[in-house]
Amino acid sequence: MQSGGITLKQAWKELVYGKKKYILIELLLVLLMFMVLFLSGLAEGLGRAVSSGIEDMDADYYLLDDSAEDLITVSSLNEDVPEKVKKQTTALTAPLDIQRMYLVKEGEAEKLNVTYFAIEPDSFIEPAVMDGVGLADSDVPDPIILDDDFLLEGIALGDTVYDSSSDIPFTVTGFAKDQMYGHVSIGFISTDTYAKIRKRLSPMYTKMYHAVAIKGDDIENIGIEGTEVISKEDIISSIPSYTAEHLTITMIVWVLIVISAVIIGIFHYILTLQKRKQFGIMKALGMSMGRLVFLVISEVAMLSVSASVISLVLAFGMAGALPETMPFYLETSNAVAVVTAFVLISIFSSILSILNISRIDPITAIGGGEE
Amino acid sequence: MSLLEIEKITKSYQDGTEKQQVLDEVSLKVDGGEVVAIVGPSGSGKSTLLSIAGMLLSPDRGIVRIGGTEESSLPKKEWAKERRERIGFVFQSHHLLPYLNSEEQLTLFQEKRKQKKVSALELLKELDVESCIRKYPANMSGGEKQRVAIARAFINDPDIILADEPTASLDAKRGRQAVEMIRNEAKKRGKAAVVVTHDERILDLIDKIYPLENGKLML
Ligand SMILES: Nc1ncnc2c1ncn2[C@@H]1O[C@H](COP(=O)(O)OP(=O)(O)O)[C@@H](O)[C@H]1O
Ligand SMILES: [Mg+2]
Repeated sequence: MQSGGITLKQAWKELVYGKKKYILIELLLVLLMFMVLFLSGLAEGLGRAVSSGIEDMDADYYLLDDSAEDLITVSSLNEDVPEKVKKQTTALTAPLDIQRMYLVKEGEAEKLNVTYFAIEPDSFIEPAVMDGVGLADSDVPDPIILDDDFLLEGIALGDTVYDSSSDIPFTVTGFAKDQMYGHVSIGFISTDTYAKIRKRLSPMYTKMYHAVAIKGDDIENIGIEGTEVISKEDIISSIPSYTAEHLTITMIVWVLIVISAVIIGIFHYILTLQKRKQFGIMKALGMSMGRLVFLVISEVAMLSVSASVISLVLAFGMAGALPETMPFYLETSNAVAVVTAFVLISIFSSILSILNISRIDPITAIGGGEE
Repeated sequence: MSLLEIEKITKSYQDGTEKQQVLDEVSLKVDGGEVVAIVGPSGSGKSTLLSIAGMLLSPDRGIVRIGGTEESSLPKKEWAKERRERIGFVFQSHHLLPYLNSEEQLTLFQEKRKQKKVSALELLKELDVESCIRKYPANMSGGEKQRVAIARAFINDPDIILADEPTASLDAKRGRQAVEMIRNEAKKRGKAAVVVTHDERILDLIDKIYPLENGKLML
């Protein structure tokens, strides 16, 4: 834009001149955006409490039985399926069982919720431990890697915990960060340990698997009667309660983004109405509509961008101060997407002002006395 | 050459069901360096004529030429550009933007390619408001503001200057000063200036006086 520099300066000077008004608007926007970011962090955090075990799992697809409706926990595959899949693809594969159970600490009666993720030790779906060692690296008979939330229950490395239904003891060999499934913390155990539990519970047990995790994109040639390959995203959105919770909060977040952006638009529109005379004069003096549009957009952009930056700083500052147990998870990319959407929608909502200005007849500058 | 030529301009307004003829085949020529006044009672059509000359209003019939270009045949979307490049306006009140200082009032409207030709500082000096260069309208007197507004009219080196009752918001002394300055600048820079006024005390500063009566200009 030929005179872009001058117009930006004009926009800035006008905001500074009307600072009393604009600081109030800015305050309102910062509060709204902060609330949006906070809610979006909560949405993500709650979502992760349901899905982080799958989300952080290093797999791209899952093979399930085709009547399971994308739900790993209700799927069942015959014992030979993992081997068959391995032969049909160059991608990495690993069997996975997911089972909701209870753990009991040694010498205590209280049952703790746990979701077992039964895996082959050392397979690619084993999480990185932040403390301790992996399943394959310990020489205890039945190792377990626990989500770090169990630390808050007073469980420590080397402790023995019991599966409450079978009374089989595990030795805690490691902790992994942020591993949740369906609001319940995960305990990673070996496939063999899992089979042991099942046998203890029902002597008729024949070995089955819930799913086969696949890492890589070579899935075209996988074709096993009665099974299907499902993407990670579909698996996550099918976890019970994930979609319902996530969708609700996400919708609230987006409604708030739109509301905040429209508030800027309306405020700016009201200010535009007050300045119709000024715009008439600028038009009479030959200022092009293009420059006036640029003026309006720069003002709105300055307001919304600065509100975004301030609220980002506040939100991330607060994220650091929140207690560990609060399900708050604000990813930079997510936060940036939220504020970008806000800035874009607020610029879009300044169309209201622009339309109004375009209808001002510059002749209003002449003969001002008669009005 | 006449920088402003108005030829047989007719304009009427629809007033309810009746048509009110305001201008009836009005013609006017103003040369470079010439200052003319249009005088007449309120409601006689002075502002209407100035608006038509200023590319703010289209006549029912007739031709407007500025600097030899037939403006009245240009499409409306080019009018803003014509006003910006060829016409300097002085209004009844200063109409400065409250959030800009005097220098910025001028540079905001200055075309890039005119920057070599006219400098804002030089104009403000000539109009004796150099001391206001960093001042905002709120901190200036009425006379100072109107002089900054006059400087603004000259910033793009226009062909014509159109002033609609430029003394209306000023006392006698300041009003006279304002017209003097329009006159001096127009003479110095060779612009055609049209001043609409009903202030008889300034008419001695005017080269030609045209009374507007019953839609006709008399000399
Ligand atoms: N937009 C308009 N619509 C209808 N009548 C108008 C309009 N503008 C001006 N008039 C009428 O035209 C006549 C001339 O107005 P104007 O040019 O403003 O006169 P002056 O500037 O000499 O006072 C007046 O009677 C006024 O009421
Ligand atoms: Mg008038």
